[in-house]
Order: sequence, then structure tokens, then C-alpha cells
Amino acid sequence: MVNKNIVLLIVCITVGFVGCEKKETNVITFSVGGAPNEIVVWEKLISEFEVQTGIKVNILRQPTDTDQRRQGLVIALKAKKSNPDVFLMDVAWLGQFAASDWLEPLDTYVKEKDIELDSFFTKVINLADKYKGNLIALPVYIDAGLLYYRKDLLNKHGIKNPPRTWKELLNYSIKIQKSERENAPNFYGFVWQGAQYEGLICNFIEFAGSNGGGILIKDGKVLINSPENRESLEFMKDLITKYQISPPNTFTEMKEEEVRMFFQQGNALFERNWPYAWKLHQSEDSPVKNKIGISSLPHFNSGKSVSTLGGWHIGISKYSDAKLQAMEFIGFVTSARIQKKLTLELGWNPARKDIYLDKDILQKLPYFRELRDVFENAYPRPNLPFYTQISEVIQKYINSVLAGTVEISKGLKETDVKLQKVVETYDK
Amino acid sequence: MINNKLKKTYTINELKGAFLFLLPLILFLLLFILIPIVGTFITSGFRDVSFLEKKFIFFDNYKTLFSDSVFWHDFGFTVVFVIVSVSLEMLLGISFALLLNQYLPFRGLLRAVVLIPWAIPVAISARIWELIYNYHYGLANYLIMQLGISKEPINWLGTNIGAFFALVLSDAWKTTPFVTIILLTGLQAIPKEIHNQAKVDRAHFFQRFYKITLPLLKPVIVVALLFRTIDGLRIFDLIYVLTHGGPGGSTSSISLYGYKYFLSGDFGYGSAISISLFIVAFALSLLYIKIGRFGKEIL
Repeated sequence: MVNKNIVLLIVCITVGFVGCEKKETNVITFSVGGAPNEIVVWEKLISEFEVQTGIKVNILRQPTDTDQRRQGLVIALKAKKSNPDVFLMDVAWLGQFAASDWLEPLDTYVKEKDIELDSFFTKVINLADKYKGNLIALPVYIDAGLLYYRKDLLNKHGIKNPPRTWKELLNYSIKIQKSERENAPNFYGFVWQGAQYEGLICNFIEFAGSNGGGILIKDGKVLINSPENRESLEFMKDLITKYQISPPNTFTEMKEEEVRMFFQQGNALFERNWPYAWKLHQSEDSPVKNKIGISSLPHFNSGKSVSTLGGWHIGISKYSDAKLQAMEFIGFVTSARIQKKLTLELGWNPARKDIYLDKDILQKLPYFRELRDVFENAYPRPNLPFYTQISEVIQKYINSVLAGTVEISKGLKETDVKLQKVVETYDK
Repeated sequence: MINNKLKKTYTINELKGAFLFLLPLILFLLLFILIPIVGTFITSGFRDVSFLEKKFIFFDNYKTLFSDSVFWHDFGFTVVFVIVSVSLEMLLGISFALLLNQYLPFRGLLRAVVLIPWAIPVAISARIWELIYNYHYGLANYLIMQLGISKEPINWLGTNIGAFFALVLSDAWKTTPFVTIILLTGLQAIPKEIHNQAKVDRAHFFQRFYKITLPLLKPVIVVALLFRTIDGLRIFDLIYVLTHGGPGGSTSSISLYGYKYFLSGDFGYGSAISISLFIVAFALSLLYIKIGRFGKEIL
């Protein structure tokens, strides 16, 4: 009798842990994270989708943090789980996910559903969403680095236009920082993302790219040791230590949100950030409301402006047991009507070109006209399966340069050696 | 040998009962500890990269590990971190435990209050410390500027040494209560008579501490050391939130290093890193158990 009960207990525990795999196929699981207001919008969209198609969508809610969202997906996909069926991915992991054969090619579905790929930014589709000729994802929204500036302060000092070159940015910053400091001792000229994380790479690509440098991929090699990069790194470091127009905690604490809040509190003249900051800067209780402008990032004298491409893409798991239904959902999310809705409700930047010229959008978000050009020319990060390892090495090095613990030229050489090791290990 | 000894002391039925009571624990350990460890060890023998063909490579991952300078840096960081933070925690823990063992007003309340940092999840306490260290509006910089210690704010997390001690301090704040409580229970188990006797013999406070308290407290100290060392070796969450390994990777721990490989899809190498951490922790545990003479008669 006792033994029977124990067996029963064990069975119950095992079943409890293993759980039940879903069986019906008219149900899909959609894995999505983000800020609470984003989840609310997703829930609204999903109930609309369910009424329209009769397909039930379960939300598998993820955290806001990018790494943790990725972790959740990597575990499920590595275990070949049929859940989630459809999910959002950061553009920086697309290469790894695609090369791991975790993503269902969408080409046939796209043809059947008559999804016009031409209405999306060509560069985004070709450089981010295609892997070995197959379409493996579609963009839900895209991002690119922008320069935010304080219109009121520039005007006060008789400057009409935002800086076109880094040199101009430097001169304006030094001048205005000096006069603003009389009242606000915490005031800085320029804030950007320098902490040791993926955002640092995005900033580096923009500085270096606007000097004709960047992460070079050539003949199966990944290199960053170039005179252009050296010059850009020196400039990044000088912003903090020599000119002191960027705060000393740039390389320790400054990520998107820290930078946004610092600028929003009125403590900086210029800010490098993603487009999401605009809506928050312009919110009712923001001290910089109606005092700011947006422009493309400055460049070095000889180069041209570069913005790193960011953003999130939607794809289907190879192990999904409801791929057709999942595709239906992707078609819905990327449709012009829903993309417009997401833009109006969340301020997201659609990958569909037509929306940037939409009347309702321009009325509410007048800066969209300028954004279209920035996105058209946004610069993607290397779309390699082992990009994360590459990024890890470069992050560490640049952050050490900013912290002053590594000498720039020596570090560049050593970094190239380390990058070569990564390539040798993973490029097979 | 043990079996014979057990059979002498207990009847077969008693042993059966004991085994039955232990069964849930054994099952739990098998399911959640042993199987994952064996699984991780097996994975570490493969080139298990999500975007490459899976291949059995024996101990190649460990060979790579041995020549991986980043791994050795993170290993060294973790060890130094454990030594410094655990020493500090033991020192503070003993002091607090001795204090709380005295007849103080509100002793009950104090004992409860001391536990608060321990009750806060690490991720949250790390966020609290992040705000304290913040360059622009952190408490630390506010204090040093108000007190006139420094005119300029200090970028606490900006140097290797600063970030290191920032982590040590946060860790000590969080886990000293744990050490305190364990040691306090040990102190209370020491019979008062021994101390009274020593007082009659005119032994002063330090003599009593070194000759009576410390030796009798040893088993409990070893338990506290064991828990803190293992916990310290696994340090992840505090670093993940506070420095994320920065500046320039100087505060990256073994766990954080391994985690990054799992994220990027290299499960084989990530597993090798985890196993290396397991071996170190396991060896240290054995050492402590030997020092603590567990399983042998105490006193």
C-alpha cells in the first residue's frame, strides 16, 4: 500500500515537471518580451488576429533584457521544443539562429501570401533577413543610431544647424558646456553608450564607420586593426579624458536608458540614441520637451555619416508544429495596417518604406521624414553565426581603451589575433 | 565497513525506514544534481556548437581551456574575489555574532534586522548598490562630497580595483548576515559553564575567545566557510547587474564567462567551463569536510 502511494507520488512529480506538450495545431505560441506597454499593445493586436483568423495565440512572455530573451529562445530551440512557434529576434542574433538551422525559411509562404518584399527597406531584407539566399525572418521594427540635440541651447549660442562633423560637435560642446556649467555643474556636451555591452559595438561602428573604418571582413578574416579605427578610438577616448565633454562614467554605466535619462533631465547638449528616445523626450513631464531636434550622426571630415542598424525581427521555429498558422501571424504583424498601428501606439520604426510618407504618421511624428533616409543607409553588424564571440572580444577591447587600461595600437594588434582565433574555432 | 557498523547499531527495519525517509532527497539529488552534472560532462566532450556539426572531440575543449588566457583571467578573478570577500564576511560575521550573543537591549529585534540584506534577492540588492555607486546621483558620491573628502565625484566602477572592491563590498553586505546567523547558533551551543569557569580562573576576554570560543566554534565556522566559498565561486548575478564584467572584462567571473558561451550557442565549451568550476568547488568542499571532520564525533 505504502509502495503504491510512493509510485503514484513519483509519477505525479515526473508528470508535473515534464508537463504536457500541446496537441492542437490551431494554437500557436508567440514568444515576446519588452516593456509592459509593449505587451499591452501585443495583447490587443493578438485578440484582433484571433477574431480575424480563428487561430488562437498564446503569449509566452519574456523579460525586457535582450540577453535574457535570447537565453529563453536558445534553450527552447536547442531542446527542439515545438513551443514557441513564432518569436521576435534581435538583429544581432539572426546569423546564429539561421546558421543553427533553427529558423523555417519563409520564401514559399511569402510568395503564397503575396507579401511584397519590395515595400520593405531593401538593405534590411538583404543584409539581415536573408541567410544563404533564404528568407528566414521579417523585420517588425528597425532601429538606427541618431543624434539628438538641444535646439534651444544651440540657438542661444547663435548656432543654427546641428553639427555635421565630429569636429563641429566637439567645438559646440566645449563652448556650450563651459557656459552651461555656470548654472549646472553636472552639464556635459555629449552622451553616448560606452559600457561593456552590445551597444558599445553599435557606437563604435558609427564612430569608426564615419571615418571609413569599422569591422572588416575579408578573405575569411575579421579585422579591426586599421589607421581609421585607431583614429576613431582615440577620438572616443578623448571625448571622455581629454576634452571631457562626455562624463567619466561613459564606459561604466552609460547604456541606452542611462544616456536617455541623463539627456532628458537636461544635463547634456547632444545625445546618441535609438529612435525610441524621441517619444520619451517629448512626453508631458520631460524637462526637454519641445527643446530638442533629431539629426543623422556627425562624421569625420573625410567620411560620411553612419548609423548602426538595430531592430527586431520575427521568425518561425523549425520545430514548430503549426507553421502555416505562424506564417499567418507573421503576415498579420508585418502588414501595412498593423505596422502603422505599432508605429502610432509605440513609436516603433517600421521596416516598410511607405509608412514614412503616411499622412497620419507625419502629422504625429514629423521627424519620420528624416528617418527614412537614415534607415535606408543604416549599417548592419556582421551577419556571422559567431558574431556574438566577435562582439565579445571587441567590446572588451574598446571598453579597456576607454577605461585607459589598454594602449590603443598595441590593443588593436592583440585584438586582431584574438579575432583570428575566434574565426579559426567557428568558421568551419 | 560503514554497513557493518550501521548493522550493529540499528535493526534492519530501522535501516529500511531510514532509507525510505532519505529516498525523496536521494531522488531529488539524482534528478536535479547528478543527472545535470553528468549531462554537462558528456556535453563538454563534444564540439557542440549550434551552428556547426556535432562532433565528439574527447578533451579538446579542456585543452583549449588550458591555453585560454581569458578563462585564466576570469578564474583568477573569481579565486581572488572569493578569498577577499569570504575573509571579510567571516571577520564581520564573527564580530556581529559575538555582539548579538551578548545581552543587548532589543536583542531579538536586532537579530531579525540583521537578516534583512540576506532576505533581499541578489538581483535587487545589486540594483540598490548600482544606485549607491552611480557617478551622477549615487549615495557614495553624495556622501564623500558632503563630507568634503573629495571635491570631484569618483567613478567607483571605472577602475579595475574600484570595480573589484565595489563588488566585494556589495557581496559582504548581502551575505554577512548569513555568516552571522550560522555562527550565532554555534555560539549559543557553547555551554555558559565553560566561560564561567574560565572567568573564575581569571582568563580575560581574548584568552577565552582563543582558547574556548574559537575551538568550539570551529565546526560551525567550517560550515559557514563551505557555504560561502561555494557560493562565492559561482558568483554571477551580482556581477551581471553591477559591472557586467567591466571595465574591459576585468571583473568577469567563471560563471559569467561560461554563460556567454551558452548564449552564443557554444554548449560544448560552455560545459567545459562549468565542469572546471564544478571540479574546483567539489575539491574545496572535500577539503573543508576533511578540515571540519564531519562524520566524526564532534567534541
